[in-house]
Amino acid sequence: MASTACFIIVSRNDIPIYEAEVGSAPKEEAAHQHQFILHAALDIVQDLAWTTSAMFLKAVERFNDLVVSVYVTAGHTRLMLLHDSRNEDGIKSFFQEVHELYIKILLNPLYLSGSRITSSHFDTKVRALARKYL
Amino acid sequence: MGREVAETCMEGMILEMVSAYSTRFYATKPDLAARRIEAIGYQVGLQLSERYTTERPRFGDHLEAIKFICKDFWSELFNKQIDNLRTNHRGTFVLQDNRFRWLTRIPINSLPNKMDASQHDPSAPTPDNKAAQDTSMHLYFPCGIIRGALSSLGIPCAVSADISNLPACSFVVRIKA
Repeated sequence: MASTACFIIVSRNDIPIYEAEVGSAPKEEAAHQHQFILHAALDIVQDLAWTTSAMFLKAVERFNDLVVSVYVTAGHTRLMLLHDSRNEDGIKSFFQEVHELYIKILLNPLYLSGSRITSSHFDTKVRALARKYL
Repeated sequence: MGREVAETCMEGMILEMVSAYSTRFYATKPDLAARRIEAIGYQVGLQLSERYTTERPRFGDHLEAIKFICKDFWSELFNKQIDNLRTNHRGTFVLQDNRFRWLTRIPINSLPNKMDASQHDPSAPTPDNKAAQDTSMHLYFPCGIIRGALSSLGIPCAVSADISNLPACSFVVRIKA
């Protein structure tokens, strides 16, 4: 079951600190378009984030048949996922697990908050979680 | 994510850190030592607040974030909540802890009142009493923790501590407009 999915983490200063194509479909030329859609959705997320105190904002925007879902942490870090599946519970669990991983990265005293996440371990784990939940 | 450590280990480590910075690393420059300790507290506060806010919904305004610090955050750190919270509704909050855990080992004698740990004013008025200055060194770390926690929740502020009556300790939070 091929699915397209692009996942980015945007810090509170609007700097993307992590990007990954986590879909199981083969990488197409439109991969750069996925990042563009996600960045364009940031404005909508900004408005929506202040209207609710929940962390998981479900589908904030649609593009063709792709949907952008966003999860905002208390420190205003946004985990954004562009996907075509409709499995909301799976996506919510995915976000929660990635949030835990992100906190572990933050607890590293040598990690500068707001800088890019370069840990290959983190990358492997995120891709494994994506395969599991998406 | 949550291994447990004895509280005495934590207290011992903090005492040693304060002592190392004020007597070995920056023995002749207490202001610099204070800023370093506060910066360590800042980073710890950032990380801790991210960790303790996973399970709960996000905050609507400053007051909710301060209440989080007083209740959940303080009970995670010290197993008790802040005893008294006062505000002037214009961006200043006073958090009073009637028995601050990390200061319980300090003897109670007459100490001068205010110790300023705000980040814009490192040249604080130094108490003439050496014991008072040593005691105030121990307060930079919790001030930094509070400042880091609030900054990560999006509230830039300056935190100072007031130990006019031990073992009670008041933290004054001034939110920057």
